[in-house]
Amino acid sequence: MNVTRRDFLKASAAIAGALALKGSVLMQLQKTMAAGGSKPPVIWLQGQGCTGCSVSLLNSTYYMTIDQLLINTLDVKFHPTVMAAAGGLAVGAAEAARNAGGYVLVIEGAVPSGEKGDYCHIWPGMTMLNALKTFAQGADVILAVGTCACYGGMSAGSPNPTGAKGVDAALGRSGTSVINIPGCPAHPDWIIGTVAALLAGDTPELDDEGRPKVFFDTEVHKRCPNRALGGGQAAVLSDVGCLSGLGCRGQQTHADCPLRKWNAAGPGELGVNWCVGARNPCQGCTEPDFPDGMSPFYHLKKRI
Amino acid sequence: MATTITIDPLTRLEGHLAIEVIVDIDNKKSKGNQLVVVDAKSSGTMFRGFEMILRGRDPLDAPHYTQRICGVCPISHGMASCLNLEKAFRVTAPDNGRIMRNLVLGANFIMSHILHFYHLAALDYINTTGVIDIAPWVPRYVTPDMVSGQTAVELVNHYVQALTIRRKAHQMAAIFGGKLPCAPSFVPGGCTEVPKENKIDDFRTLLNEQRAFIDSTYIPDVLTVAGAYPQYYQIGEGCGNLLAYGVFDLNASGTSKLLRRGRYTDGQTGTVEPAKIIEYLKYSKYTGGNKNPADGVTEPDVDKSGAYSWLKAPRYDNKVHEVGPLARMWVDNNYSRGISVLDRHAARAMEAKLVADTMVGWLDELVVGEPVYKESTIRSGSGIGLTEAPRGALGHWITIRNRKIDRYQVVTPTNWNASPKDDLEQRGPIEQALIGTPVADLNQPVEILRVVHSFDPCLACSVHMLRPGRDKPVAIVHTRPSI
Repeated sequence: MNVTRRDFLKASAAIAGALALKGSVLMQLQKTMAAGGSKPPVIWLQGQGCTGCSVSLLNSTYYMTIDQLLINTLDVKFHPTVMAAAGGLAVGAAEAARNAGGYVLVIEGAVPSGEKGDYCHIWPGMTMLNALKTFAQGADVILAVGTCACYGGMSAGSPNPTGAKGVDAALGRSGTSVINIPGCPAHPDWIIGTVAALLAGDTPELDDEGRPKVFFDTEVHKRCPNRALGGGQAAVLSDVGCLSGLGCRGQQTHADCPLRKWNAAGPGELGVNWCVGARNPCQGCTEPDFPDGMSPFYHLKKRI
Repeated sequence: MATTITIDPLTRLEGHLAIEVIVDIDNKKSKGNQLVVVDAKSSGTMFRGFEMILRGRDPLDAPHYTQRICGVCPISHGMASCLNLEKAFRVTAPDNGRIMRNLVLGANFIMSHILHFYHLAALDYINTTGVIDIAPWVPRYVTPDMVSGQTAVELVNHYVQALTIRRKAHQMAAIFGGKLPCAPSFVPGGCTEVPKENKIDDFRTLLNEQRAFIDSTYIPDVLTVAGAYPQYYQIGEGCGNLLAYGVFDLNASGTSKLLRRGRYTDGQTGTVEPAKIIEYLKYSKYTGGNKNPADGVTEPDVDKSGAYSWLKAPRYDNKVHEVGPLARMWVDNNYSRGISVLDRHAARAMEAKLVADTMVGWLDELVVGEPVYKESTIRSGSGIGLTEAPRGALGHWITIRNRKIDRYQVVTPTNWNASPKDDLEQRGPIEQALIGTPVADLNQPVEILRVVHSFDPCLACSVHMLRPGRDKPVAIVHTRPSI
């Protein structure tokens, strides 16, 4: 455990690029951290998901690496995939954090509302639906991570056998009470960037879908490098060119993937690839109507 | 006196799982007054109804839907889905496409194995007191048999290093996969990404870093744990039968694989014929009869009498089989020491080395400029895609009618390993492996975690139907594991 607060601040200093949060937010964050600000407690609950958003978070490098996040930045009281405790000991940790209050509640996966929530129990006697309602009460802020948690996502795909809902819908509140960080999976930078802003005391500006505008304000197509190729269309998958004729959803999808890309090599670096970079159409995974409104994903010319 | 222990949630695995065991003194297996597990129930699972969601959709969407079944092994689902579609379409991927898919899958195997050992399993063996005393590493079990001192410090440092190494394995996979988790480049007919010299070079550099870590750190650390816990070569044997579909096709037809298809049943080797797989439902909350997955249906029955799990119970030729790295390495004659908790860890680490070392040669087989993909589709047809996830045999069965998915059935590795009893009253592999396991401290049943984690279960949402101290199911359990 050799990562220090200094390392984290150094990494943060490397961020103030065009893709990052506002520089002022990062400076505030650094001041807070340097002043020895306490780490905010986090309770991370998993509903109907695939753990893909947690795995994606493990891939973080741009703002900070996962060890910097877990050791120096957050006080993760409950996360089923990472935590040492199991069974009653783990449940006790979640309950203690809830009783203490003032925590960040992160929800990964959809919340099934059918059969009174019985499609997902997270520990004895606790449905995911019940857990959301219970833990939402004492939360300082609620982050819905991934499209399932934001809007239902894959779990709510037609015919939505379990009545899966996103966090906002499951809580039944009006207005935006939840910060949505969609994506299937969510990009680690979107998660950590939002958390960093909150830690610095900044409230991210959200769009109509509850998404931080800093990451989700522009359509993928507007920034797509394939546009620079002069509008030539790819005839088949794996060809060079615009993929709109093959089913690309870049024109309807809001995300900064073309700039940020995925799976970066190190702090402050951009990703090594992304969906369209791999010559495959954007599937629209950050939008509320993913997947039903975005599929079929392919419009192939060859049909039998 | 018999005592029931329930671990729910059973953490540090993908998804959630609930395990209930009964511990007592067993005249045959107990030493002195030692308590051992005398009965075990594995109730896992989640029900999103993926098979129902897939029905009526475009078959070409299946690789992308099914990758969302599991965020840890999405690539295996993408591979199984591409393979069943290619069977249905009667098409094979060009060599470049096949090889790139193997490289992405191989990278995800390495990622998953390293994640499993360090971040999911290792904390069962290390007393981290004084090394890392903050959440999420506290609270924790601390038992007298855990390694401590300098060894604990080293293992925790490797835990942190492994976070970086596993991230880089995903970076490597994204070079040809597009992004991880969930690789967009996986399509029936090949791969949409194309090999280029700089991509191949970048992949090779990252691969060599993985190989160095496996050789210098991962394998030695597994040996360190094995050295400290030799008794775990005798704990957690389970059913003793092993099954592998095989993985990493080395030719277009898939007749040659890096790890072969095969079976080890009642001490004899055998072949695998998919028609001999039956999913039993007696103790599962489903109706519709015991069927082969090609004819399988998913009809939930919440109130089914006597059922205690939402997992079906797949059996091969009516026999219980364990799947996973040990099964693969065993049927491929790469491992034969035995079947136990430590054998699973050892075989997994050795497989990581085998796969990583072999991948170097695959990079040399890529031909820049040659095709990667062949467009294809079909109006009606069916196919079976058999491959392996890091945690074991994975099968997808598809039927297509009028260009729509008519039927889709998925049998995940955890379906096999975490299955409940079948109609022949045979317990599932994890349940069998738990029986006989000594438990020293009823309040800190870390031995249960060690046995269960050795299987590297992968579920997406836990439901449990049993509460401690009661005999009958009291809560509704839902769904099928991971799908």
